[in-house]
Amino acid sequence: MAETVVAATDVTVRFGGLVAVDHVSLEVARGELLGIIGPNGAGKTTFFHALSGVVRPTSGRLVVAGDDLTGRPAHVFARHGVARTFQTPRVFRDMTAEANVRFGLEFAGRGRPAGRDAFADARSILDFLGIGAAAGVPAGELTPARQRLLEIGMALGARPRVLLLDEVAAGLTEAEVESTAALIRRVRDELGIAVVWIEHAVRVLMRFVERVVVLHQGRKLADGTPGAVAADRDVVEAYLGEAVI
Amino acid sequence: MSPRRAIAATLAAAAAVATLPWLTSDFALSLALTCVMYAGLTVSWSMFSGVTNYLSLATAAFFGIGAYVTAWGLGTLPYALLVPTGGLVAAAFAALFGAAVLHLRGAYFAVITFGLGELVRHAITYFEKTYAHTVGRVIVDVPGSTAVFLTVLAVSAAAVVTALAVRASRFGLALAGIGSDEARAETLGVGARRTKVAGFALSAFFAGALGAAMAVRWTYIEPNSVFNPFIGFQTVLISMVGGAATIAGPLAASVVFSLLTEFLRLQFPYLFLMLLGALLIALVLYLPGGLASLAPAVRAWLARRAAGDARG
Repeated sequence: MAETVVAATDVTVRFGGLVAVDHVSLEVARGELLGIIGPNGAGKTTFFHALSGVVRPTSGRLVVAGDDLTGRPAHVFARHGVARTFQTPRVFRDMTAEANVRFGLEFAGRGRPAGRDAFADARSILDFLGIGAAAGVPAGELTPARQRLLEIGMALGARPRVLLLDEVAAGLTEAEVESTAALIRRVRDELGIAVVWIEHAVRVLMRFVERVVVLHQGRKLADGTPGAVAADRDVVEAYLGEAVI
Repeated sequence: MSPRRAIAATLAAAAAVATLPWLTSDFALSLALTCVMYAGLTVSWSMFSGVTNYLSLATAAFFGIGAYVTAWGLGTLPYALLVPTGGLVAAAFAALFGAAVLHLRGAYFAVITFGLGELVRHAITYFEKTYAHTVGRVIVDVPGSTAVFLTVLAVSAAAVVTALAVRASRFGLALAGIGSDEARAETLGVGARRTKVAGFALSAFFAGALGAAMAVRWTYIEPNSVFNPFIGFQTVLISMVGGAATIAGPLAASVVFSLLTEFLRLQFPYLFLMLLGALLIALVLYLPGGLASLAPAVRAWLARRAAGDARG
């Protein structure tokens, strides 16, 4: 069996009376391409917050590459190889695109092995993403689609073991969604990074990932291959018969 | 300008300014001393608060702590040793205080740093009254005005050089990331808490050292004069007028502002604070990026003029 990069065990996140994530367990193997879907408010983003140390779980355990990081701050997760993007792109607006990527390289990525030689500096990461020409442009001036790509670049600069993508395809055109999905595949295939991808555009996601986890009201409803999950009756019911799967 | 050249330029400028005691009158020298002190205070303030947007009003507290280190230590320790000691005591204090409150942001942080100044002022007043049976201290055996000027100049030059070095460093990048989006910087591996405490303490070091250096200018020291909140506000205002995210902005604004204050005070002794206030409001309203935001426009204008001259 492949080596586990992230293992969440019985993770629960409670905000006051609201249980956003309810005893969710998940193991992500090295180089795996995994999708997380679920209706609005299913707890997808909160689960990501827990996986990346942004939110401390109320209970449960988080192990990254064999190290128990439960309760540690976000920068420790980053230094252990957990990188992420945010639902609304969070780039350093006043810094150039290149400086944004260099940021990851300087901190979380420092001392971590590069996925391949071409990823030695910020410029080569921007080239990989196809936005090398924008290297000197302040990130705040990039189009939203390019800011999303840049966020992936910042995360790649952190030289992660696992990349958590929170709706990177939201608000993109059909063609942009396709190229982003192809790029994510390359991240996995060429760099061997595990990718956990939350997406609202379920159809695209189902075509690209190898395994799907369905969250519903904070709980894990299904976990399996896209084909098996799409046929699951509970899943179809959770989506109220939406013909998306 | 590359950091190395900027540092060289700073040292050259400081060397030139160091000749002032032998060239000017006592009045001009005391004016220059005010300029140089505010240059050091504002640049060191901007180094942390301007870059991270953690608006600190604690400058007066650190300045006062430094001044009291001199007041207590003069006679026992040499002046040259008291100045860095004042800085270190202020920095240690800032580190302790920062570790406790640097999770607060925006107005909360500003208010609590202001409160810190008041707390320290009253604590020292109480301590002096209860244990030293005095309300203030007379400072005797002070170094001459040339020695004071050169010391303050050395501290301020060190502040500018440090600010330049920090800006070019990994530490500076971390501070800039915190200012831009703290949570994002954390998810990219920056230990925000430790970085903020270090930046706050570093900034406090210079305010403390300047307080220690300036204390000997007053022959009588009491908490109300050295913990004057005006020093803290003035530092913030000058930095913002100059452009708090830059180094050159606060530097230029310190000189302009100190000279302007003095000019207004002499010309309009009754109106000067009102004029100053009106000027500040106008600047904040119409030039929110500070004087530094004028630099690109001025450069463009100069380039146009040069091009026009070449044609004509």
